[in-house]
Order: sequence, then C-alpha cells, then structure tokens
Amino acid sequence: MTWLIVSREIREFYRDGRFLFGAGLIVVLFVTAFLVGFEQRKNVFSEREVAQQLDYDDWVNQPERHPHDAAHQGMHVFKPIPPLSFVDPGITNYVGSTQWLQAHRQTEVKFRPAQDATGLQRFGSLTPAWIIQMLGPLLIIVLGFNSFSGEREQGTLRQLISLGVPSWKLLVGKALALFLGALLLLAPLLMLAFWIAFGDVQAGDRYDVLIRLGLLVLGYLVYLGIYIFMVLTVSVLTPASRISLVVLLAVWIAGTILAPRVLVDVARMVYPTPNQVEFNAQLNQELRKEYTKAWKEHFGVEDRWGTDVPLSRWGEALQVDDQAGYNAIDRHFGALWNRYDDQQRLQEFFGFVFPMLSVRSYSMAITATDFSHHRDFAVSAEQHRRLMQNLISSELVEHADGQGEHHFDYKVSKAFWSRIPPFEYAAPSVLFALQRSLNSFAIMCATLLFSFVFALLSSRKLV
Amino acid sequence: MLKANDVTKNFNSHIALNNVSLSVTEGQIYCLLGANGAGKTTLINHFLGFLKPTSGEVLVNGKNVMNYPLETKRDIAYIPENVMLYGVLTGLENLEYFSALATGRKKPKDLLMKLLTDVGLRPEDAVRRVSTYSKGMRQKVGIAIAMAKNAKALLLDEPTSGLDPKAANEFSLLLKKAAENGVAVFTTTHDLFHAKETGSRIGIMRSGSMLAEFSSDDVSHTDMETIYLKNMRD
Ligand SMILES: Nc1ncnc2c1ncn2[C@@H]1O[C@H](COP(=O)(O)OP(=O)(O)OP(=O)(O)O)[C@@H](O)[C@H]1O
Ligand SMILES: [Mg+2]
Repeated sequence: MTWLIVSREIREFYRDGRFLFGAGLIVVLFVTAFLVGFEQRKNVFSEREVAQQLDYDDWVNQPERHPHDAAHQGMHVFKPIPPLSFVDPGITNYVGSTQWLQAHRQTEVKFRPAQDATGLQRFGSLTPAWIIQMLGPLLIIVLGFNSFSGEREQGTLRQLISLGVPSWKLLVGKALALFLGALLLLAPLLMLAFWIAFGDVQAGDRYDVLIRLGLLVLGYLVYLGIYIFMVLTVSVLTPASRISLVVLLAVWIAGTILAPRVLVDVARMVYPTPNQVEFNAQLNQELRKEYTKAWKEHFGVEDRWGTDVPLSRWGEALQVDDQAGYNAIDRHFGALWNRYDDQQRLQEFFGFVFPMLSVRSYSMAITATDFSHHRDFAVSAEQHRRLMQNLISSELVEHADGQGEHHFDYKVSKAFWSRIPPFEYAAPSVLFALQRSLNSFAIMCATLLFSFVFALLSSRKLV
Repeated sequence: MLKANDVTKNFNSHIALNNVSLSVTEGQIYCLLGANGAGKTTLINHFLGFLKPTSGEVLVNGKNVMNYPLETKRDIAYIPENVMLYGVLTGLENLEYFSALATGRKKPKDLLMKLLTDVGLRPEDAVRRVSTYSKGMRQKVGIAIAMAKNAKALLLDEPTSGLDPKAANEFSLLLKKAAENGVAVFTTTHDLFHAKETGSRIGIMRSGSMLAEFSSDDVSHTDMETIYLKNMRD
C-alpha cells in the first residue's frame, strides 16, 4: 500500500515536470562543482608534493654552515589535501596549507583570526556540499510543498481518506517518495566520489575513503530527512499550497541563509576570540615572562641574549630559551583553539533548530576539512619544528659551545642536515573524524526523530 | 448497516442537522431528498467521519464512526457530488490507484478497464489524462472506483449529477444490482422521479430536519409530488 503511494507520488513529480527541472538543474550544478573542485585539487595536489620535496632537497643540500642560521631559514611543510575535500573543502581555502617551521616561534599565518574556524564558513562557494546543504532542502520544498495541501485543494485527500487509507501511511508514502528524490540527488555525488575513491586514492586509503563516503551519505540523508518531514508537516497544517510554499521558503531562507551567518556572530559574541594583533601581543607578553624567568633561573641574568652569558654557553641558552617558549605557545594556541571549538559546538547545538548548522560541521568533520583536522596538522607540524630545534641546539651544545669565543665559527657538515627527517604527516583516520562528528550527528538524529513525530501527530487529523 | 441516531450538528450557531435518525439495511436503497442546504452532504460527511456530531451517534455496521475511523471506512464506498481525481493520471490509472488502496491489492488492467466501460466510459477516454475529462466522465470514474471496492455500503452524494440520461439510467441499474447483492445504498438526490424509480425507501429533509420517511411502494407518483412540494415550500 505504501509503495503504491510512493509510486504515484513519483509519477506525479515526473509528469508535472517539477522533478526533471529541479533535478536537472542540480545535476548540472553538481557536475560543474565536481569538475571545478577536482581540477583544482589535482593541480594543488601535485604542486604540493613537488614543493615539499623541493623544499626538503633545499634543506638537505645546504652548505656547511652554523645550524642556527639554517633554523632561521627553516623548512616548509605542506598540509596534505584530504581525498574528499573536493566534496566539502570546509575551511581548507581559508587556513593556510603551508607552514613555515623556523627558529624561535610557531608561525601563526594560518590562524589569522579573520579566518577563525567558524567565521570562515560565512559564504558558500559552488561545492557539492554546498549544493546539498542549500539546494537539497529547496528541491524537497519544491517537490513536497503541496503534497498534502495540493491534494486537499484537488479534493483527492478526501477520496483517499474515505477509502480508509490511514493517514500515517500517506505520510510515510509521501516521505519515502521525497526520500527517493533526495537519494537521486545524492546519486551523482556517490558515483563521482566512488569513481575518484577508486581512481585517485592510494590503495591503503581506499577503505578509509569509502567509509567516509558512506558516513557522508548517511549524514546528508538524515539532514534531508529532517527537511522532508518539515515540508510534509507544513503541507498538512497550511490551508493552501500557496501559503505552504511561502512558509517553507521562509523556513528555508532562515535555516540556510540567515541562521548560519547570524550564528557565527552569536558564537563570537558568546566566545570572543582575540584578533591577530591582540593575540600576538598577548603571546609575546607571555613569552617574555617565560623567557625572563628561564634566563634568570638558569643563568642568573636579567638580559636575554646579553653579554653576561658567554658564547661558550650560547647553545645551552638556545635550548633553555626554546624550552621556556614551548609552554607559553602551547597554552596560548591551545586556549585560542579551544575557543574555536566552543564556538563550533555552540553552532552545532543550534542544529536542533537549523539543521544546516549541524550538517555543516558533520560534513566537514567527515571529509577531514574541519578545524579539528587542521589543528591536528598544526600540532604535528609544530612537533616537527621542535624536533628540528632540539636537534640543532643539542648539536650546538655538543660541538659549538666547546669552541668558546669561536662558537659562531662552528659549521656542521652537510651530513647533519639529513639527520632532520622530512616531515611526514599521517592524516588522522576516520575514527578521529567519527569522534569529531558524533555530536552533530546525534543532534541531527534527534531533530529527525522530532520532525518525524511532529509530522505524524499533525497528520492525524487530515480532513 | 448504516445508522444515524439522533444526530445533531451545529456549525457555530447554525443548526445543520437537527436530531436526524435513519437506518439503511442491507439490500435497501435509501434516497434522501432535500433542497440545497438541507443538510444532505453534512449527513454523509458524518458517515465518513469527516465531521463529528455535536450530539448523537453514527454507526456503520454497528461500529461508531468516531471510534473506528478506519474499520468503518473499509465497509463503505463513497461517491461525492464532484469526484476528485489526479489530473496528471489517466482515468484508468486513477481507478487502479484508488482501488488498490481501497482493497490492498492491485487489480489486473483488463478488469479495471471492464469496470470503466461498464459505467459507460469509452476505452479511448480511459487512457487519457483526467485533466481533460468532463464532469460526467470524472463521475463515471468515481462510480467505477466505488464499484471496485466491493463495499458493504455505498454512500452517494448526488452521484448522477453531470451524467447524461443514458448513463444515469445505467447507473440506476448498477445500484439495483448492488442492492440485490445485499449492499446497503444511501444516496442523496434532487431528482424526485429518479428517487421513486430506484429507491426502496425515501426520506425528505429540510433545514436539517427529517420531515418524512416512507417506502416508495407505499406512495404513488402523484402522492410523492404532493408530499415533496408541501415539504419544500416555505
Ligand atoms: N463546514 C461548514 N461550516 C459551516 N456551515 C456549513 C458547513 N458545511 C455545511 N454548512 C451549512 O450546513 C447546511 C447544510 O449544508 P449541506 O452541504 O449539507 O447541504 P446539502 O443538503 O448537501 O445541499 P446541496 O443540495 O446544495 O448539496 C448549509 O446551510 C451549509 O451552509
Ligand atoms: Mg450537498
């Protein structure tokens, strides 16, 4: 019985041309988005691999020189591009993808506060994720706004009810029909992503990508499911299709255009983050305190890098200075990043009302393009920087400090450079993504359940 | 089979039904006569559970319509004044859909086609979209839907409105056949002559009240005319 209803609904979508028009438009957009995203990704992908290799070659081929000079030159590391970032680039385009590992301090280029983890998502670009998040609900509205109100106007609703069709079956049948429409919308995503997963990714990553794809589809179906029941509820409750359409378009605008922007600002108000100048000022102040304390403890001097500490202890001083800084850096960046997390969580929470907020963060987590993934990379790069610094300062302590006044004449042999390994970053597995997306997924499921129950209750009295 | 016990229905201050009682047994054809606004459709809507009586009760096969909304609907087939169908589907597809929903299983195409031609729809019309149909053609599809349901009771609200005389006649025959098979038929009409011809029992209603009820065999044509005119005149 339910399938009868489903097939009639679909026949109607198809015959009155709405479906072909809507889906056709979306497929065209999809293909465009994919091709653009994929092309970009391919370019950047190869560029980055080459660049990182060249940079390391430069490092290894340095002439014999004082290692601290080398540390100032530093090393560039490149963030790998997650395979599914072409589906949802997340914050990829807003945070730097390169990190300069150099002496003395963690670089903050990629944390320009104008690009903090949440503010970035203000504007969409033509990506598959954007299409599903924005246009998916719109397609469902176009297909479903009159599913009940239209039948009421047409008079067929009474006919159906008089036949003894239970209203919940009507609801489920109509929901399933819209669901199939949604699936059709996701089909191009699945196919193309599948193709890429098997064409482009290294064999080892394939399962990881496949699991992510599955999770992505699941999440988006839950998201679209929320809209399906919302659309059906409005269609039951409004007396005329025209009104239903107006109400639903208002809901759509509020949920996909206004809410995401407004809540970014709300999150910032609730959890303010410093701008770059403020952040740097605070960090520097803190660093100065730590440095002064460390120099005083170790060398009993007030002046950092003053003449009171002989050159025979310069390497040791570097070690002390670096170590003193690490804590302050960790604390400061940690606090900033936790703030971003708080902002993110607050927005996710509003997914109860505006599902786009939770699906957005779910999608970014699953495609490994959200802030937590970026943070993981940044931490790992910073560890590599510390590895480099520590190796260099111990080299200085062992060999250069002994030369006393001639400390700066010390030059390491070329063999030393390759003792610092190339930066190899293992991107977190899907488990990490799962953990990060659990919250938003739970919120979406709860909202889906709520909207289903609400639709069910409101459909009890149809005529 | 169909029973109304002291049904009163108020729309705000307006009394649409005033203590109406009637009963339609198996094999009976009950014709309800009444001017526009008498309350005929309102009464039918009570049998369908679309309206809740202000007082009194409505029973189908002994079950209260309000308490058993789905079960009671299973026993009745309904043809409204204006049969409403899906415009983008053909007459045949509409019949296929509604009859499958009513009975829970799809009927074969040729059987459905026969049902449609039986009520006087031409086969070439049956495969056209309903949006191109005339009122009478839609009515015929509605009749076919009701027949396909094989229900124990038929609720008909001016079912022949829009039908040409030939089709109306054939429809009367269909009703009689159904009644012979033990179906309880309840139909409203403005057509005195038609009521006398097909009905086994006739009720006359005005302003929500049942004024008179009698067996069609008990009265002659002229008697009926007198009764009707007397009761309809203000
Ligand atoms: N939903 C409603 N709200 C308010 N009044 C109503 C409603 N439905 C019917 N009425 C009123 O109840 C009275 C009976 O209406 P009803 O439709 O039952 O008449 P009828 O006998 O079927 O007339 P017709 O021969 O024109 O079909 C009318 O006065 C009508 O205005
Ligand atoms: Mg009427």
